[in-house]
Amino acid sequence: MVENNTKIVAFLCNWCSYGAADLAGVSRMQYPADIRVIRIPCTGRLSPKFILSALREGADAVWVSG
Amino acid sequence: MVTFKLNGKEVQGEDGQYIIQVAEKYGVEIPTLCHHKALEPAGMCRICTVELFDGRRTKFVTACNYPIWEGMQINTNTPAVHQGRKLIVEMLYARCPEVPLLKKLAKEYKIKEPRFPKQDDDCILCGLCVRMCERMGNSAISLTGRGTDMKIDTPFGLQSDVCMACGACASVCPTGHITLEKIKNEFTKQHPFMIPSEYEMGLKGRKPVYVPYAQAVPNTPAIDREVCMHFKSGGCGVCSDICQMDAIDYTMEDEIIEIDAGAVVLSPGFTPFDPSKFDNYGYANHPNVMTAMEFERILSASGPTSGHLTRMSDHKEPKKIAWFQCVGSRDMNKCDNKYCSSVCCMYALKEAVIAKEHAGDDLDCAIFYMDMRTHGKDFERYYNRAQDQGIRFLRSRVHTVDPLHDSDDLQVTYVTESGEKVDEIFDMIVLSIGLEISPEIVDMAKKLGIELTDGNFAKTSTFKPVETNKKGIFVAGAFQGPKDIPQSVVDSNAAAGEAGAMLASARNTQTKLPEVIPETNIIGDRPRIGVFVCKCGTNIASVVNVPNVRDYAATLPYVEYCSDNLYSCSQDTQESMSQIIKANNLNRIVVAACTPKTHEPLFQETLVNAGLNKYLFEMTNIRNHASWVHKDTPELATQKAKDLVRMAVSKVALMEPLEEAELQVNPVAMVIGGGISGITAAKTLAQQGYHVHVVEKDQRLGGQANNLFHTYKDEDIAKELGSLVQEVENNEKIHIHLNTTLEAVEGFVGNFKSELLCNKEPSSLEHGIAVIATGAKAYIPNEYEYGKDDRIMTTLDLDKRFIDRDPSLKALNAAVFIQCVGSREPDRPYCSRVCCTHSIDNALALKKINPEMEIFILYRDIRTYGEREYKYQAAREAGIIFVRYALENKPDIQLKEGKVLVTVTDHVLGQPLEIEADLLTLATAIVPNKDERLANFFKVPLNEDGFFVERHAKLGPSEFATDGVFLCGLAHYPKPIDEAIAHGQAAASRAVTLLAKETIHTSGNVANIDPMVCSSCGVCVSICPYAAPSFATQGRFEGTAEINPVLCKGCGLCVASCRSGAIHLKGFDTNQIFAQIFAMNEAV
Amino acid sequence: MNTCINKIRELSFELLDKGEVEKVIGFANGTIPMATSPIAITSTKDIETLVFNSTCGLNLANYIRQHKGKIAVIAKGCDTRNIVTHIVENQVQRDQLYIIGVPCNGMIDKTKIASLFEDDIIEFSEDGNALTVKSALKEETLNKTDYLRQNCRLCLHKNPVIYDALAADLVEEQTLESPYPDVKKIEAMTPDTKWQHFQDLTKNCIRCYACRNACPLCYCPTCFVDESGPQWVGKGQNTTDVNTFHFLRAFHCAGRCTDCGACVEACPMDINVRDFTRKLNKDVFDLFGWEAGLDITKRPPLDAYSPDDPDDFIK
Repeated sequence: MVENNTKIVAFLCNWCSYGAADLAGVSRMQYPADIRVIRIPCTGRLSPKFILSALREGADAVWVSG
Repeated sequence: MVTFKLNGKEVQGEDGQYIIQVAEKYGVEIPTLCHHKALEPAGMCRICTVELFDGRRTKFVTACNYPIWEGMQINTNTPAVHQGRKLIVEMLYARCPEVPLLKKLAKEYKIKEPRFPKQDDDCILCGLCVRMCERMGNSAISLTGRGTDMKIDTPFGLQSDVCMACGACASVCPTGHITLEKIKNEFTKQHPFMIPSEYEMGLKGRKPVYVPYAQAVPNTPAIDREVCMHFKSGGCGVCSDICQMDAIDYTMEDEIIEIDAGAVVLSPGFTPFDPSKFDNYGYANHPNVMTAMEFERILSASGPTSGHLTRMSDHKEPKKIAWFQCVGSRDMNKCDNKYCSSVCCMYALKEAVIAKEHAGDDLDCAIFYMDMRTHGKDFERYYNRAQDQGIRFLRSRVHTVDPLHDSDDLQVTYVTESGEKVDEIFDMIVLSIGLEISPEIVDMAKKLGIELTDGNFAKTSTFKPVETNKKGIFVAGAFQGPKDIPQSVVDSNAAAGEAGAMLASARNTQTKLPEVIPETNIIGDRPRIGVFVCKCGTNIASVVNVPNVRDYAATLPYVEYCSDNLYSCSQDTQESMSQIIKANNLNRIVVAACTPKTHEPLFQETLVNAGLNKYLFEMTNIRNHASWVHKDTPELATQKAKDLVRMAVSKVALMEPLEEAELQVNPVAMVIGGGISGITAAKTLAQQGYHVHVVEKDQRLGGQANNLFHTYKDEDIAKELGSLVQEVENNEKIHIHLNTTLEAVEGFVGNFKSELLCNKEPSSLEHGIAVIATGAKAYIPNEYEYGKDDRIMTTLDLDKRFIDRDPSLKALNAAVFIQCVGSREPDRPYCSRVCCTHSIDNALALKKINPEMEIFILYRDIRTYGEREYKYQAAREAGIIFVRYALENKPDIQLKEGKVLVTVTDHVLGQPLEIEADLLTLATAIVPNKDERLANFFKVPLNEDGFFVERHAKLGPSEFATDGVFLCGLAHYPKPIDEAIAHGQAAASRAVTLLAKETIHTSGNVANIDPMVCSSCGVCVSICPYAAPSFATQGRFEGTAEINPVLCKGCGLCVASCRSGAIHLKGFDTNQIFAQIFAMNEAV
Repeated sequence: MNTCINKIRELSFELLDKGEVEKVIGFANGTIPMATSPIAITSTKDIETLVFNSTCGLNLANYIRQHKGKIAVIAKGCDTRNIVTHIVENQVQRDQLYIIGVPCNGMIDKTKIASLFEDDIIEFSEDGNALTVKSALKEETLNKTDYLRQNCRLCLHKNPVIYDALAADLVEEQTLESPYPDVKKIEAMTPDTKWQHFQDLTKNCIRCYACRNACPLCYCPTCFVDESGPQWVGKGQNTTDVNTFHFLRAFHCAGRCTDCGACVEACPMDINVRDFTRKLNKDVFDLFGWEAGLDITKRPPLDAYSPDDPDDFIK
């Protein structure tokens, strides 16, 4: 395990941002490997509890996009 | 099989392989400069030197060309090997001190300064280029000269035709010694050129083997035979050697495939106008004059500049950009396209707005136009907003672009509206090029015997907008006339519907049913998870250490089986996966590969084939989200892939088999509104074999079309409408309910129940789908003295007089039309789309009756889009006078001494013009019914103006987001009859896709309420956009909420809103997402 | 307040006597001075146990759910707003209730009064605006307006918003220039100070859930803090878990809270949990122009979607 790397939990909407993350890959855009994506059906699905629990589990940041 | 030791580990290779090949297979890195997979090794650069122990002594060999043998021992990383390599690097570095690759190697081997005298060469004489050129079948270059004079050159140093300028030598040169310049100046007599990428509009190059664009379907590379060296010289074949799936077959030929079809739909599209023939704009010569299509690529994040707004000549960020409208449209002077291309005003607006978004507010955007034609739904608002954002609109047609001599800027001279001549300098010019039909398509039309219009578009009639003159051949999209996306989608739906109607009797005669595999019951079984990690060829494996991820996955809880696949999606892997699942009794599957958005259904099918419920599956994306985006940090990418696999495993363990509810569709349709669009929809539905009920509040069918005189194509509306109504009335599948209103609707897609009221007589109707075609009405003006004098009337009043053949029309001396009455006003900021054509048409009809009549049309922008433009030309030729007025300076009407006096400021003279009108026609707006009650019945939205909001502004114009409810006609937006009819056909066609299924399978990913925890607070009922939750009206849990899985779209809004935590979203349940979150940070 | 209790008793007697309601929910004297507790009486003979004074700080809307028959309830301005919320949220039907509205002049801050004394208070009485409080060591006569609870001082809806009968004449509503001075003060803090403020605020929380139990909005059959599958929040004293409880409870009250103060009244650790709820009340007012419990026909803004919803935060 690499020390001190940040962890960002990304809750991405299946219909837009998840697709955008896919497209970033297709376009070979390079970005730091700190993000862990959790696919959700819609940002409407996102309970504030998910954000809080991600932070509690040690995430340095939570990114919600949709 | 040969077994030997590599760095102390036992490894195996095929007989005849070289050391480097086996090392690569086992992930042992050996540096090399001159090795290429596709070429025979030459051992030129010597950096791949390794240590060989043959049982008696050690010696150094080059790994790239030393064949393996049984029992040998290889060490790749001993101090002696390192020393040897260091010396080689030092010598090469001394020879080529400026080559970046050697600088990097020198740094790696800790060489500060070479001990040998530095030279200034950049070629290490590795000969890779020579071998590659030979492979290309040319051998145009070789190592010439001897000793210190040795270099890469052509025979006798002469440029020749032998070099075909393919560029292969440059593409493999490790040091950058061979460049395209060098090829051009020293090797070849031919002209080397960049292969233009079609998708990037030639702004970027592509390879001979290429995927047309990132989102292409299928996403399979193609070989361009025109430029591929194999097809030119018979050499190369590198792609075939490298492809691990043996997918490349050079012998494939074009095939002629015969299809036995009952109907044909033509949708060949358009070709963007090529402005290079306009030398006055300098498009062909000046890189900073570009077409709008090219500019689209500049704005695109995936384009040649990654969305960074720069101009082509010097990559400078532009400060001023001008758009020229109507390039190749509305022009008979420099080209033959006299029609309006319909879409360019809107795309230019969009480009200007987005350019400002990209570059910031100080970017100056100027649009030079003739008439701003924003006649589409919500387009006028966009235009208003663009004006508010400071985009400049200059009503002027620019004649010439003059490149400046001392810079790459461009000077434009134009005349302002007030007649002043202005010189202005821009950084870039974008030409808003029109749409035209290519000669190939015209040719095809001729072969098929399709009649074309003056503009080379397929000729159709107003009442059969998607039918060509050939029975059974239909047309859709821009080939029927220049049009935008929503209209093209409407057309394509309509054409499919009409073709389907023709072929209705043959429906389901060629259907093949798949074999049904019984589902294994896994409820109560301990999870047995199978993890399949995909290499995606080298797409994943070249960055992510796939074996490592696979081995890691094996350590995770409940994981019983792990493997990696070269291509998980290939047919044979699918079959073997299915076998593995059965053989290992796996009951949950994780695939770590690409994106679930495209590949989830494929793997779910594999599960089904293995007898597993398809929801016992989770896919995680280690390609798009890891290998492709973290290629410089393979360790971190591998780490991330492991995390993602762990998260997926912990989620999939909690997955449960889900059911997809099946629901019968009542094959009956209800059409609300018996206007022309509604009855067209009814007719198409009946032709497709379904019973249709048409609910009309009025006492007759036909709606607004009853008030109209003729179409712009001179067709008699009353006659055509009459025969349509008759056809509908005589169709036994169509049931007409006149004088009837809709009072209530309950149910959902497939099973609606509506309450109707006819002459106070209630009745109920069960139907599977509904089409909303409630139309719109004419605006009743309170401006321009309407109602105070018989000579002042609306367009529909005038149509009435035409219909009645009113003889008094002949006696008029002067007629005035005022456009935009009630449209494009602050209260009603939309264009009513039909009025310009309608007024011009009526004006021409008046001219026909009395050629001496003076006719004035007072307008703001003339919006005769598409081939309607011809009418505008005809009107001007007929002497009809067009006077432009501004919103803030409207015409003034005075009723004085029995006269109707119209005063308007002439835009050319700037002087007030007084006209004594015998007839003043007000082109009034089309006003929506704003039927909130109806909107509420079906839970469908209305926009700010009161028109219904379709599922998708571009891609779903004929249906609602609510399943089973469709939309057509004026209720959607103002439109002329041909478009209203196409819309009716389109709505019917969309409805048939549902009706024809007979049953609907809902998704398994739906919400579900635990009634024990439900507090009945009703948040879910209130918040759901699809009306899926409701309160149970009976049973033990009466009063608590329940969810109709048929209506649920699985968005999870209710789940997140439920304070009591009573709602579960199957497939994305709270515990499953928590499992992913909790797995996120586990120590590895 | 004396006339008011007479009227309450009179109305209650009549309702019970005629059998119009099964029970009357009101306040009775508590077991210690300066305290009242909720009571439900079903018989006219218990009428005298009903009291009403400036210590009736709990919210009786909390007790009107899940009755089969018709009940009467004594309700202050804020209580009636919670009754409205209950009706909107399907917890009770309007025709099940007989609401005896009490125009309210505010409830007293018991903690503040108790802090004036070193020993226990043994007697409390009030007469109009004058409060007389006795302990073994001293007796104080206090001006009620100086000892109102903060929510009562900032109250904009003293009068019942829905009622069947009134126990007293309506009182004059106050208008405030700044209804949220406390929230503004917190909003103005730097992130660090703000963080510290909330850390300090909840550090004494013992997670007894008295605030939740006193709150009429918290009626879920299973509260998220008690759920173990999925476990939304840890059960212990971990700071994150404690804060998660308070944050989420506040979120659950957004657009529904009437600032009745029952939560603070109930808190044994004197935590002003209204710091959370009031910020959300202010936001909902600023964004949607919404005050909870004023309209029986409208759902709280966060329960409903409207195309006019503010969306400036989406870029």
